Amino acid sequence: MIRNDLKRAILEALKLEDWQLEETTQAAEVPGWDSLSHVNVILAVEKKFGVRFRNIEVLKLKNVGDLQLLLESKLKAATAGN
Amino acid sequence: MANYLIQARDTVWKRWQQNADAHPDRDAVVHWLAGEEPFRWTFGKLLRVATEMAERVKASGVQKGDVCAIILRHNKALYPLYVAISSIGGIPAILAYPNPRLHPDKFRQGLEGMSQRSGLDWIFTERALEPTIQPLVSGENSTIKGLFFPLESEDTPAAQCGSGQSQGGEQVLSTAGDPFLLQHSSGTTGLQKPVLLSHRAVLEHVHRYASAIQLRETDRIVSWLPLYHDMGLIAAFHLPLICGIATVQIDPFEWVMAPSILLEAVSREKGTISWLPNFALNMMADKIAEEELSGIDLRSWRMIINCSEPVRYESHCRCVERFRPYGLDPAALSSCYAMAETTFAVTQTPPQTTPTHMVVDRTELSRGRVLPCMDGKPARICVSSGTPITGCTVRIVDDNQREVEDGVVGEFAISSVSMFDGYRNYPEKTAEVVRDGWYYSGDYGFRSNGEYYIIGRKKDIIIVAGNNIYPEDVEDAVSKVGEVIPGRVVAFGEENADLGSEQVAVVAETEVTDDVRQRLLRLAIVKAGMAIDVTIGNVYLVPPRWLIKSSAGKPSRKANKERILADRASLEARTL
Repeated sequence: MIRNDLKRAILEALKLEDWQLEETTQAAEVPGWDSLSHVNVILAVEKKFGVRFRNIEVLKLKNVGDLQLLLESKLKAATAGN
Repeated sequence: MANYLIQARDTVWKRWQQNADAHPDRDAVVHWLAGEEPFRWTFGKLLRVATEMAERVKASGVQKGDVCAIILRHNKALYPLYVAISSIGGIPAILAYPNPRLHPDKFRQGLEGMSQRSGLDWIFTERALEPTIQPLVSGENSTIKGLFFPLESEDTPAAQCGSGQSQGGEQVLSTAGDPFLLQHSSGTTGLQKPVLLSHRAVLEHVHRYASAIQLRETDRIVSWLPLYHDMGLIAAFHLPLICGIATVQIDPFEWVMAPSILLEAVSREKGTISWLPNFALNMMADKIAEEELSGIDLRSWRMIINCSEPVRYESHCRCVERFRPYGLDPAALSSCYAMAETTFAVTQTPPQTTPTHMVVDRTELSRGRVLPCMDGKPARICVSSGTPITGCTVRIVDDNQREVEDGVVGEFAISSVSMFDGYRNYPEKTAEVVRDGWYYSGDYGFRSNGEYYIIGRKKDIIIVAGNNIYPEDVEDAVSKVGEVIPGRVVAFGEENADLGSEQVAVVAETEVTDDVRQRLLRLAIVKAGMAIDVTIGNVYLVPPRWLIKSSAGKPSRKANKERILADRASLEARTL
């Protein structure tokens, strides 16, 4: 299940009011989420959660579930570092 | 650079061979992959492996003059395959690998239309596309003789990147006038126009364009541009390989998801020249985090050539401001006007010279007159695309094809030594655009002090991030959406300042009035765009009979664009 705050960040970046996002959802299935807007989605998630993704991490993402896992790993690392 | 006087028996293959003989260990193609060490094709190895591949390509039935479509993602085997096909007289044609959002049926229909128009003989692709493409091969009246999967070692011409030990292989004799490659005017599937170029056209162009940008043996091209696009294929691939210098090739999909990759490649490889569509400058200036720039050194970058969509002054300023602290020379920003029909470049600004810009009255410009902007009137900053390269002549003409004077807006007509010989198997389309040796481009602009400025297009093509989108395709897809009145749709491009490019907007008539159903309808329209791989950025729903018709009885794109944008401006003004 995709956490609600991540879902909201993605949908706001895409200017979508609502859309079903599952772990297996791929960008190509979501209206407006194309190669040009992908970087906006990533920046929006980074800004909302105060994290930074490396290029190579972003390039390995296959679906929204991967993005959630990456985000949670960053949040966990940040918590551990505090 | 070397002497480029073109002889009757001169071919691009010969230039590659000469480079391999003269500089066998020099980098030819540096195949870049994010997070990995790049794979380096030297000129010697590239030609040796291509020769091995050519034997297998020939043995599998490919003959001189056969058109060989290549549909592969970013892969190091593509370059020797391309060279191999050319070496036996085949005509390589790189086509776009389908985006996952493009419906397989749409992709197949586009490919079928292209194969009938261009006469595709063979397709070199990946196994994943076999179910989609195979029906075309076995279909009635198919021109396609077979499919190959060159990334699989058991298939012809395969051998991946080979040992590179072979010295054998017989190169098929070609002459300068023989067809060398087929490129397609970029655009949505089905409406692409096939442009066949001879060895002579490509060599002529490379020679003259290299001179315009003062290409040096020490130059190193860095590019993420797709090779199915003329800018990627001619400027960033053929030009360096013919001139014996290296090209660093980045995966376009990786770049667009992580734009700092280009800067990393320029910095690490000491890149000197890149061609970029305007939106790429915005992407890099606005979408790269400071942390990604740690250690980046851009001092080697002597030319960033803005091409393929109208040049925006603000984009140059943003790019310079952002990357000057990392060594970017402000004079590196340059501009060019180019098209597949003339092989590539028509005009170019000189190296190390900031392109001239003019602040003109926007209202007067829309009336076809170029006047300085005074007294706080709405202004448009027009950026020069430079002067014609040698071998090209440009005229600005009115609707009757008469040349207009400086400062008057008209259509660009071009005569060039590297002009195409017409669209392949498409004489009626060729006749529409070529008259008395002049190519009528459909691009609008003006000349001032000998420099040329592009301001838009006569045709309704929408240019999004350097890609041409035909509004007809979008309108056709949207017309099929339930609750949209069929045929009562227009699509057009509207400025997206953030992107530094255009976005696709749609006006559709519908009987639907309540908010919830309108929201669902908007979504359905956006999804219809997705199915043809077009992102619709804005949907305007209007009541029946809202759209203004042209004299031909069809909704007018221009008039309805003006009407909807005026309505929107009025609404925004009232809201404020």
